[in-house]
Amino acid sequence: MRQVRSKEGIVSRSQVTNYVRPSTPDEALALLRKSGKSARYVAGGADVARTLPSDVTTLIDLCALKLSSIEEGPEGIVINATATLNEVLENESLARVCDGIIPEMMRKVGSPLLRNLATIGGALASAHSWSDVIPLFLVLDAKVTLFDGESRTLDLSDLYASREGLVDSILTSVMIPASRAGDYATFHKFSRTGCDIALLNCACYAHVDGGRCTEVRIAAGGTPRLAARLPHVEEALRGEGLSDETIEKVAHIAQDTAQTADDRRASGEYRKQLVYAGVKRCLREIAEKLEGER
Amino acid sequence: MINITLTINGEKRQFAVSPGETLLELLRREGYKSVKKGCESGDCGACTVVLNGRAVTSCIVFAAKADGGTVLTAEGLESGGVLHPIQEAFLEEGAVQCGYCTPGMEMATYDLLSHNPDPSAQEIKEALSGNLCRCTGYVKQVKAVKTAAKKLTKEAK
Repeated sequence: MRQVRSKEGIVSRSQVTNYVRPSTPDEALALLRKSGKSARYVAGGADVARTLPSDVTTLIDLCALKLSSIEEGPEGIVINATATLNEVLENESLARVCDGIIPEMMRKVGSPLLRNLATIGGALASAHSWSDVIPLFLVLDAKVTLFDGESRTLDLSDLYASREGLVDSILTSVMIPASRAGDYATFHKFSRTGCDIALLNCACYAHVDGGRCTEVRIAAGGTPRLAARLPHVEEALRGEGLSDETIEKVAHIAQDTAQTADDRRASGEYRKQLVYAGVKRCLREIAEKLEGER
Repeated sequence: MINITLTINGEKRQFAVSPGETLLELLRREGYKSVKKGCESGDCGACTVVLNGRAVTSCIVFAAKADGGTVLTAEGLESGGVLHPIQEAFLEEGAVQCGYCTPGMEMATYDLLSHNPDPSAQEIKEALSGNLCRCTGYVKQVKAVKTAAKKLTKEAK
């Protein structure tokens, strides 16, 4: 009983001897520090239930911390960690960010059944290479707040740069900066089926002023490494307009410079083609939006 | 063992569960056999129940996590021997073949129609995208959800 053959191998849950629901972050942190590697945080639990390592005996459920609201703050919209992906998808304030890019991306994440369980904190802290949330949140310049005895806020990109924040702390919220006029963002996912994880995904953000991209952030995920920005592409696009020629040129730079590799889902060579197509489609979509506004 | 309280199909009940047990395992052991065991990894939707108002795959929910919550299974749809409009619609439209996916489909439909009483075909397909059916081509289910929506709207009037 309670043994499941999953894509990741055999998952057994019968070794779990403790399931605790602390009510404060201090308590949750103390429990993790006490149990060390034999403990695992659980938010929605969808990921943990599927992929629980056999040496984990204590589950620390973070949902009693009452961190599930989504609030508009002075600098942007704060999504607390245990808000589910569907709550993020359905939130009206988040739907106003860059013309609805957040719900557009979220509709491509798994099925609604999964999105009713999976949380935004889990999606960011589990740092899956195929995550659709991470590349979009990277280009939207999201800030995360961690609790390790005290709260500190850092750029999402810095969280993944050192990974130190992913150990021994609790991700309590993520903030999406408020959109300004002239902000555009697009997202594209390549996968075998709608509910499947990405073979590769791509997110683009541009602030356009007088027809030129004054601020640019572009990221690709599932390369198959964790989503990362594409600095050469960003540099080539900064200060430029979105003509067909420019888009073609920078999409080729993406293809040439993105670090792709083989895994069981796709070859690195195929992923190079996907980066090219993803960047091109994302930027074309922004160009079409600009065209439509004229 | 952990003691938890769940309100299942309107009945408040207490259970002793093991810490790693899933909601699917608990429900089946307690006789709610409409909740089917399929992939056990959240991919097929056969185990779908409505937990605190939203449809979820119960195979990847820890039973201990659901403590204090409200669960609706297909057993709880009918009342006094009368089928729920969603169940009627699935029968009338021929959306049931082997029947294994049907309870899960109906619970996903319940969630959809309680938040969106008049969904488009596209919205129905998206809402049922986590429920796999290996007998049909999904055409009859989409029709059944449309019919159920009409029945429920008529009932509400």
